Amino acid sequence: MKLFQELLENPQNQLFEQAVADGRIPIGYSCSFVPEAFLMADKLMPVRLHAPGVAGTETADIYLSNFICTYTRSLLEFAIDDRFDLIQGWVFVPSCAHMQRLYDNLEYLNKPKFSHVLDVPRKVTDATIAWQIEELTMLADKLSAHFDVDMSDASLMTAIDEWNNFAAVIQSIGELRKKSAPPITGTEFHTLLMAALVSPKNMILPKILDFQQAVEKRDNAGEFRARLMVMGSHLHDPDFIKIIESQGGLVVADLFCSGSIPGFKTVELNGNPIKSLAEHSFKKTLCPRMMEDFDRRLKTIIDTVKEYKVDGVVIEIIKFCDLWGVDSMSMVSALRKEGIPVLKLEREYSMGGEGQLRTRVQAFIESMGK
Amino acid sequence: MTKKYYGGCDVGSTTGKAAILDENGSIISTTVVPSEIDPEITSIQALEKACAQVADLNSYKDLARIVGTGYGRNEVAFANENISEISCHAMGTFYCNPDIKTIVDIGGQDVKTIAIADDGSVLEFAMNDKCAAGTGRFLEAMSRIFRMDLDQFSVLSLNAKKSIPVTAQCSVFAESEVISLLARKNPPEEVAAGIKASVSKRCFSLLKRIGMRPLVTVTGGCAKNQGLIKSLSKKIKMEVTALPVDPQIIGALGAAVFARRNGSA
Repeated sequence: MKLFQELLENPQNQLFEQAVADGRIPIGYSCSFVPEAFLMADKLMPVRLHAPGVAGTETADIYLSNFICTYTRSLLEFAIDDRFDLIQGWVFVPSCAHMQRLYDNLEYLNKPKFSHVLDVPRKVTDATIAWQIEELTMLADKLSAHFDVDMSDASLMTAIDEWNNFAAVIQSIGELRKKSAPPITGTEFHTLLMAALVSPKNMILPKILDFQQAVEKRDNAGEFRARLMVMGSHLHDPDFIKIIESQGGLVVADLFCSGSIPGFKTVELNGNPIKSLAEHSFKKTLCPRMMEDFDRRLKTIIDTVKEYKVDGVVIEIIKFCDLWGVDSMSMVSALRKEGIPVLKLEREYSMGGEGQLRTRVQAFIESMGK
Repeated sequence: MTKKYYGGCDVGSTTGKAAILDENGSIISTTVVPSEIDPEITSIQALEKACAQVADLNSYKDLARIVGTGYGRNEVAFANENISEISCHAMGTFYCNPDIKTIVDIGGQDVKTIAIADDGSVLEFAMNDKCAAGTGRFLEAMSRIFRMDLDQFSVLSLNAKKSIPVTAQCSVFAESEVISLLARKNPPEEVAAGIKASVSKRCFSLLKRIGMRPLVTVTGGCAKNQGLIKSLSKKIKMEVTALPVDPQIIGALGAAVFARRNGSA
C-alpha cells in the first residue's frame, strides 16, 4: 500500500517518469467521458490530472474567480508552476463551465503542445453515439498526425484488450467490498484506484496483482460500526476516506468521477473499436451534466446500497461545483425518500477542516443508531 | 465506595466542561474550566474539579465510566468512549427538557443546529463552514473592540433603540466595520445590537437547513449572552426556551447521560 501512496505524492510519479523515459506519450485528462482505453493506444498513456498537496491557488486565483471550484483552480496552479511539464497533451471535455475556463486559461497562459476538446453531448439519443464516433475519430486523426502514433482499429483493439484486462482486476478487487467483512478498507481501495489512474497501466498492474493476492488472504479490514457509500465528483485524496473510516464507518462503495462504480467497466466490443468506446463512455459514466439521466443515477446508487449492504450514503461536493452541487439537492431528498440515511458534505479540493469532518461523520453514524 | 458515578467531559476549544451523574441519573456536580493547549490536560482538570465537589470521589479514576465529547474528544485517552458533541448536546437537552426539539449550539469555534428525535437521538444537524463568524470567538473579538468583558457585552444591546446593521459576514472584516461604526460615534448599544443580529441571522439560516420545530433552545457558552438570545428570539419569531442548568455544560451532561446508559447496560 505504501507504494501506491507514494505514487500519489506527485502529479507525475516515478512510474510515469520511467514510462516517459521509455518513450511513452502521456496525455492528461480530467473527465470520465474521455475513454481511457482510447488514450492507451500505441505509445499513448492516459493520466488523470490531479494536484496532490496543493497548498494554495494564489496564482490561479488571478485568472479564475473564487466561484470556480478549487479542483479547476488547483490544476491551473500546477500547470502554471510547470508541475505537469512532462504531459505532452491535454484532452478536455466541456463537462462544466469551470473546466471550460481552465481550458481557456491554459491556452492563454501555458499552451500545451497538444490540446483537444472532446465535445460530448448532454443527452443520450440515437444520434449521440454517431456524434461521439465522429468526435473520437477526429481526436484519433489529430493524435495520429501530431504524435505519429498508430490509431488504427487494430491498435485500438489492442488498447481495449489491455484496458479490459486491467479493469477486470480492479473490478474483482472491488467485488471484495461486498463481503460481510470486507478484507479491504475504503482508504486502501481509493489509494489503489487513484494510483492506477495516474500511472502507466502496464507498469502498475503487476503491483496491483501482488496487492490483490495479499488482500484476498485477509479475514477482514478491522472493526467498523457502519458500512458507508461515498459519492461525489473529483475526490482524489484518500485521506478524506481515511478520516471517514477513522470514525467507524467502513467505506464499502463509492461513486466518483474517478471511482470504480461504474467507472471501471470493461468495454463491450461490437466489432468497431471506436463505436465500442463511444457506447462505453455513456455506459460507464454517471454524471449530473447529462440531461434526463437522474433516474438512472439514482437507481445505480440504490442498487449499490443494496448490493454492498450500505447503511448510509455520504455525498461530498466541492464548493461551487455547478453539477454535483445542484444535483445533490434532489439526490438527498430522493435517497431519504427511499429510507437511506444521507450526509451531505461540502469541501474544498484539498483536505482541510479535519475536525469538523470527523464530528459530522461521527454524528451521522451515531444518528443511524450505530 | 458503593455508589457508582458517571462522568461526561466536553473538551471545547475555549473551555472544558465536566458533569457527574449518580446511578439514579441525578446531576451531582458540574464544572467549567478554561481550555489548555493539551485537550487531555483540560479534561483531567475539568473532571478533577467536578470530582472534588463529590465526597465519595477522590479522583476521576473513581468514575464508573467516562464519555468524552467536544473537539478534543479523540485526545481523551482515558475515556471509555467518545461520542460526538452533536449527539451529546441532543441527549443533554433531552435530559433537561424532552419537549425541546431544536437546538442552536453556539460554541467557541463553531455553530451547530440540531433537530432532536423523540428519544433524544439526532434527527438532523447542520454546522457552519470553516468560518468564525457567529461563533464565541467572534463575540469575544467584538467585545474587545468595545473594551468590555463578555458579561458587559452580553447586556450592552438590551437597551438599544435600534440595530445598526453590520454587513460583513467575515469576522475579520466585521471587526474593521465595527471599529469604523464606533469611530463615527454611533451608539455602542446599537452597534452591539447589529452584531448580535448578524449572529442571529447566521443561526437562523442554519436552523432553516434542519427544519425548526418548537421548542427551541440555545446551548453552549454563548447561550449566556442575553442580547444574543433576545435577538435570536426576534429573528425566529419564537421564544428561546431556557434550560434548568447552565447551558454551557449541556454537552458534558449529555456525555454523562451516555456514560450512565452505556455503563449500566
